Amino acid sequence: MNSFRAASRIALRAKPTGALLAPRRNYAEAAGPADKIRLSLTLPHQSIYKTSDVIQVNIPAESGDMGILANHVPSIEQLRPGVIDIIEEGAGSKQFFLSGGFAVVQPDSQLSINAVEAFPLEDFSPEAVRAQLAEAQRIANGSGTEQDIVEAKIELEVLETLQAALK
Amino acid sequence: MVAAWKAAGLTYNKYLSIAARVVRRSLKEQPRLAAERRGDMQLKFAKWDGGKQGEVKSLAKESVEQ
Repeated sequence: MNSFRAASRIALRAKPTGALLAPRRNYAEAAGPADKIRLSLTLPHQSIYKTSDVIQVNIPAESGDMGILANHVPSIEQLRPGVIDIIEEGAGSKQFFLSGGFAVVQPDSQLSINAVEAFPLEDFSPEAVRAQLAEAQRIANGSGTEQDIVEAKIELEVLETLQAALK
Repeated sequence: MVAAWKAAGLTYNKYLSIAARVVRRSLKEQPRLAAERRGDMQLKFAKWDGGKQGEVKSLAKESVEQ
């Protein structure tokens, strides 16, 4: 009886010291710095950002423009064709025009953006945009098939956003 | 609210591909050529009926028409 009590007292004493000394790895460390969001911007043929830590990402969601910081509420957003801003530490902000896709905010400060096409704004030619705008407007107001008119209207929406972004 | 493309009976995939196509066409010469080359495909198919090969068609052309 006595020896059992002594043994349990030693066990009680040993437990907390051992736990304090052992290095612990927890979820917060595995997820990266607490004030950064981990961005993956992927296209079918290329990944522009691959789990890189950035400060903020502004996206044109179908439900409205939104800025995403670290520890954002998990959500799935459909993206309109438009410009996304990526604010990196030190490097300033980078802008890409996305043709539409989805952004998924995961619970551990991860943001995955999927799009079909994404290009930096300087890759666009304002002349090409203007020429296509005129062409799309002509088709949208013309007497083509219903299919042609619908396609022209989608193109118009994209081109107008693009033209506004290039100014 | 229903999106205009949905009201017109288009699928989301079709809508995305139209938006992506117009974005590619708006690029400057160099990136545009690179982007359009990526979409190149020369797959052909033919339907076999009763042991005979039918007409050989280009998959790209057929899928555009649909």
